[in-house]
Order: sequence, then structure tokens, then C-alpha cells
Amino acid sequence: MPRLGASTSTALRAEYEYEGRKAWNGSPSHPNQKSSLFPPRGPIGLILSTAMKTNRRRFVALSAFAAASAALPAAAADRKSVVGVSLLSLANPFFRDLGDAMRSEAAKYGLEVNVVSGDFDAARQRNQVSDFIVRKVAAIVLSPCDSKAVGTAIAEANRAGIPVFTVDIASLGGGKVVSHVATDNLGGGHLAGQAMIEALGGKGKVAILDHPEIESVLLRTRGFEAELATQRKEKGVTIEVVAKLPGGGAKDKSFKAAEDLLQSHPDLAGIFAINDPSALGAVAALEKAGRLQQVRIVGFDGMPEGRRAIQTGQIYADPVQFPDRIGSTAVQQIRKYLDGDDVKPEILIPTALYRKADADRDPTLKSR
Amino acid sequence: MSPSHRLVRRLFADYGMLLVLLALGFYYSVVTITTHQPAGADAAQQVASRVQVGERVMIITRDTPEDAAYREELARSLQGRGALVAASIQGEPRDARVALEGLNADGKPLHVITTTTDCAAWTLLKDTATRFPTLGSPRILTPEPYRWPTFLTRQNLLNVANQIAVVAILAVGMTLVILTGGIDLSVGSILALSAVLSTALIQRWGGPNASPGTLWLAGAIAVAGSATVGLLSGVLVAGFKVPSFITTLAVMQVASGLAFIIARGGSIYELPDSFTTLGRGLGALGIPHAVWLMLGLYVGAHLLMTRTVLGRRIQAVGGNPEAARLSGVPVPGVLLFAYAFCGAMAGMGGVVQASQLKSGAPTYGQMYELYAIAAVVVGGTSLSGGEGRVLGTLIGALIIAVIQNGMNLTGVESYQQKIVLGLVILGAVLLDLLKRRGWIRRKTAPPANTR
Repeated sequence: MPRLGASTSTALRAEYEYEGRKAWNGSPSHPNQKSSLFPPRGPIGLILSTAMKTNRRRFVALSAFAAASAALPAAAADRKSVVGVSLLSLANPFFRDLGDAMRSEAAKYGLEVNVVSGDFDAARQRNQVSDFIVRKVAAIVLSPCDSKAVGTAIAEANRAGIPVFTVDIASLGGGKVVSHVATDNLGGGHLAGQAMIEALGGKGKVAILDHPEIESVLLRTRGFEAELATQRKEKGVTIEVVAKLPGGGAKDKSFKAAEDLLQSHPDLAGIFAINDPSALGAVAALEKAGRLQQVRIVGFDGMPEGRRAIQTGQIYADPVQFPDRIGSTAVQQIRKYLDGDDVKPEILIPTALYRKADADRDPTLKSR
Repeated sequence: MSPSHRLVRRLFADYGMLLVLLALGFYYSVVTITTHQPAGADAAQQVASRVQVGERVMIITRDTPEDAAYREELARSLQGRGALVAASIQGEPRDARVALEGLNADGKPLHVITTTTDCAAWTLLKDTATRFPTLGSPRILTPEPYRWPTFLTRQNLLNVANQIAVVAILAVGMTLVILTGGIDLSVGSILALSAVLSTALIQRWGGPNASPGTLWLAGAIAVAGSATVGLLSGVLVAGFKVPSFITTLAVMQVASGLAFIIARGGSIYELPDSFTTLGRGLGALGIPHAVWLMLGLYVGAHLLMTRTVLGRRIQAVGGNPEAARLSGVPVPGVLLFAYAFCGAMAGMGGVVQASQLKSGAPTYGQMYELYAIAAVVVGGTSLSGGEGRVLGTLIGALIIAVIQNGMNLTGVESYQQKIVLGLVILGAVLLDLLKRRGWIRRKTAPPANTR
């Protein structure tokens, strides 16, 4: 029976390959013989067929097991409640800490937590949510990969009657979210402003390395500027913001932006960088220009690398976030929800200033 | 050998990966066996039959369509049995708590709480005796659960198909390009471009109030635009003999940049609800439109490759371009078609993706080119071109989807998921290599295939 797909090309290729194969291993084979997986022959085939024989027995055992367990009536209580969690990315230590804290907090209440990474991909996150729905999890926790697109996934969970919570990043796409737990970025910005005033003794020119595309960063800079404004009125602080450059929230882009700042403002006294990578970019630029002593930096986050820079004095201070507290608070909200208690729609976790003295006491930095 | 035996043999020889897919499906069925509860009217009657005459009963359910049928039938049957329904709740734990407090204040005993397994998991219902002392200690009745693999539920199987639809659509086009001996790295970016272009057009032409005609037109323009971008790659590959890897790497950057410019760096989301019909709406047999579209494209592409001259030419070009040229195949034309088709498929994937997420963003589709290539390779198409089948790609895409879905269902976390997926792709490529070097051969020379 000739195959419908057999084409001129197959014939052409067969001849072509035949020559090649002869040259390659010297063994003649029929030009029209197409290599194929089943049934296999040769040493590999031997291994495969032995493996298949043993597997057949296991296969039968598995089928029997499946049939038996399908027939068994089960008690309703044997299913542990699971909380499905999809975070923005697990490559970031912030979200790793958040997930770990959720897991240990949930263990106290006999809940199981399953953390997966959305990897910045809204579609992947949506798939993860639909898999959670099929598993009939007790609750879903998200830090949206896309604040708008996540709405469809949340609506789907709502329809299935599963409560949705968000952490760190809020949803703007609709659907009903029971509670949102995040860092108090506005308050953190105020703290950053206080740190800057403290570092500069209340006077001088400062610049901001910004990343205005992100809502939480907008709040940080707003808080920073508001703190400077009130202190200007009340305590005669004369710090002024002379420039706001986009640093992309990343080390490389902030490095370039900070270099430009140093060129255009030779009398710059301070830089507020909206996260640790931006602050470290600024540190690199200052080091290159030999002006680390003249310009004080205030960062944000308190990531390990940032805290180490605070310990060595390269960064003056950071308002630090507490991802572990965000995670454990979110789990407490879930528990409250399942317990029928009232749940607050939004909970903000305050930041705290972290200076050199804190770094010297920090046990996680001792090893260095 | 009987004809049916031969048919099965051929099926597995041609689509050996089908066996892998079935084995995976079986494996995940076994490991996801868990308790499920019957829903709807039958479950309600079963629960009601366990309530005694004259007992005071409370019904607790969630506010979902699935629970509504259960609740209504339960109320009816309970009344029929002469039980007294003291309260019926449809909502959250909080609503149940408020109602329980109300009953507690009444001071009359509550004998039974009828509910679903999901609601019975609420911690609220774990210690009613201490929290609501005047109620006595009500029995909590739920439908008798049964064991069944979560993987093998209708909803989950539809999930698997729906989740892979976009990547599978990209992979149709990718199969054709790989069959010609090339590769297309730009499909992920073209997907983003198409998603952004279609949503931007809809927003410009009416936003949330756009008419269905507008939606079709915007989708068609996005697909046509994507095909044009694919054609551009084709011109460079066919006309200027630029290696496809380099060409499509460059086009990937260009398309991504265009998407960011059109969307102004953000996402476009003010769209009519009807836009989600394509990606999330259910079509015939309750199967989502996106899955029907995917199946249709595969059948179409399969017929193209097996029943038309063009299909044979594509294989010929991939097998040996020089020989194909000498035997009169218009090689450049065939290449142009393959790349334009691949671009169009990526565009189609972009519209479906935008519809599924009800928004368009330039960040969509990152790494999708690699998933599409993986689906093609796992499906048995050789990366050196000329050998492979479109339907094999569908199986490859389903294998990837089943592995991902299965790992999500069994609670495997993200790091391990990446390792497993990577190993599967590696295994498929190794198999391909072994096959081509002739290390795995057919036991008997197949008489069916000789010409």
C-alpha cells in the first residue's frame, strides 16, 4: 500500500541519505528503508524491548491499582485544603521569601501551599490559575504578571467560587479580589525622604533614579517628594530635587543615568534610587567617577546585595520591605476568610529604615 | 499480519509519540486520582435521603452555577421529606457565619448542615459545636464522594487543549518552515505584534462598544500584517540566501519593537466583552472555539502536506534543495509560502491570545518560539528538514501541554517543571538523531512501503 505522503522528496532524500549513510558507517541499507522507532532493532532495540517487557508487568499492576482505587469509596475528609499560589517570578529573592513564608505560615493551620512562577507571562499565569480551578483549591493567591490581563483569570476563579487574593501587585483588570497584601510604598517613600534629610544634614541637591512605569515605584517617589516638601515647610530643610531620570529599575540603565547625572550636576549631594539594582548602578557610576564620598545614596528594598552595600557604606540607607510578612499576612487573611471572619480589602505592610548600624548587627551578613 | 494489526503498527511507526502521549495521560490519570463529589440534583437527593423527618436543616453552598442546581433540588427534596429548612446560604464563609450566628441567637437546635465537599473544607464548619453552642452539634452532610482522576475530568482535558491552543497554532506554521530546512525564531514576537495590532485597532474603532464586524476586520488585518512580516523573512531567506536563523532573529527584534511602539510600552485593555468569544467562548460540543480553530488548522495543514503538490514541494525543498531545484521545484516560491504561512499562524495565535486575556501587550509570546520548536521536534519532525508530519506536531504540542498540566495538578513547583520539560525536549532530539543515524531500525523491511 503506497503511502499518500510518499513524495518525490522522499525518493530524492532516500538516495541522498543512502550515500551519506554508506559513507558514514559502511553498512549497506536499503535506500527506501525509512528509519523508524517501532519496532526497534540493534543494541538499543534490545534494551528497549527488555524494558518494555518488564514494563508490561508493571503496566498491568498499575491498571489494577487504578481500577481498585477508582472503586474504593473514600472519606470526605482525606483531602487536605490546598492554596494555589502563582507569583510574578521566582528568580527574584523577594518572591522566593514571600513564597517560603506562605508555606511555613500555612503549615501552622494545616493548609498546603503550592507555589508556581508566572515568569512574567500573563498567559502562563492564566493557565496556572485554570489548573488550580480544576484542582478545586481552597484559595488562589496571585502576584499578577500583568495587572490588566489577570482580570480574566480572576473572573474564572470567581465563577468557580474560589476566593482570590493578591500579594505585592494589585489587579486592575476587574474580577473580585478578597484582599490585597502589599508593601506600604508611599510610607516607604516617606522613610526614604527622612533618610536623605538625615544623610545630607537637611541641605543640598538630590536626584531621583525613577521607573515611573510601575505603580508601586510611583508611590515611592511620591512619598519621597512629599516628605521633603513637608520638612521644607516645617523644619526649614532646603533639599531640592534637581533631576528625575529613568533608571529602568535595573543596574545597567541606572549606571548610565547616574553617569549623566554626575556630568550635568557637578554639585549633586544625593541620589534616591527606587530599588536596590538602581542604587547599585548609581554606586558603580560614583565609584568610576571617584565621587562616592561626596554623593550619598538612598535605595529601596533591602535585598542582600543592597544590604551589603549599606554595610560597606556605599549606600546610606534603605527602607526595607518584608516579603515574609506579606506572605504570612496573606495566609492569615485566607484563614480568616475560610473561618467566616471579616477580611480587610487591603493590608499594607510598613517598611523600616535599614542603616549601617543595622547591617553591622545583621546575622545574614556576618559570614562575609 | 492482519490488516488491523498492520494499521496499528503503521500508526505507531508514523506517530510513535502517540504512545508517549497515551502513557503520559495514563500516568497522570493514576497519580491524580482523588475524591470528587457528585454535583447537581442527584447529589442533592442522595444527601436529602439521609435527613430525618422533622429535623431543622441548614443549606450552605457557594454562589456558583454548579452549586445552584444542587441547592434548589436539595431545598425541594428536604421539604418533600418533611424536614424544616431553617436557612439557605449561597455565598462565602462570611455569609454562612452571619447566618449561623442568627440561628444561634434564635436558641433553637440545628440538627443538620447540608453542604458540598468544598464548603465542608471551610474551617468555619470544623467546630460549630463550640462556636455556636445553642445549635447543639449539627451533623454535616455532604454528597458521598467517589474517586476519579482529576486529570481525566472533562474540564481538565478541555483545559489542556485550550492551554496549548496558542502554541499549537504557532507550531503548525513552524512545522512547515522546519520541513523546508529552516527555522523561524520570530513567531513569539509576531504573536505579540498581532495581539497588540488587533487590540489597538479595536480600541481605535470603538473600544468597548466595537461591533462584531470590527472585531473580525481587526483580527483579519492583524493576521494579514503578520503574514507580511513572515513574507519579509521569506524574501530574505529565499532571495538573499541569508540563513533563516539570522533572518528571523532580526525580524524577531523588529516585530517586538513594533509591538512596543504600537502599544506605547503598556497593555491595551479597553475591549468589548464579545472579543473573548474566540479565545474563551464555547463552540460545538462544549469545546472552546480556540480548540476548534486549532483542530481546523491542523486538519487543513495535514491535507496541504499530504494531498497537494505544494505540500510535496515543501518536503522536497527540505530534503535536498539542490535536487528539488533540478527537478523543477520553484524553491524560492515554496520558501516564501512557508514563511508567510508561519507568520500568518503566529498572527492567528496572537489574536487568540489577546482574546483569551482580553488585552494586548507587547510582552506576550516571549519564549513561545522555543515552545513551538519543541512541539515540532517532540512531534518527530527532523530539525534538518524534509522529514516530519503536521499531525505529529499536534501530538508533540499535546505532550508538552499534558506534562505541564500534569505537573501543575500534582503540585510540582516551577523549578522542577523546567527541568522535566527540558529533559523531554532533549529526549526527543536524541531520538531524532538516533533515528536519522539508523541506530533504531525497523525489524522487517516493510513490504507496504516499497514502490
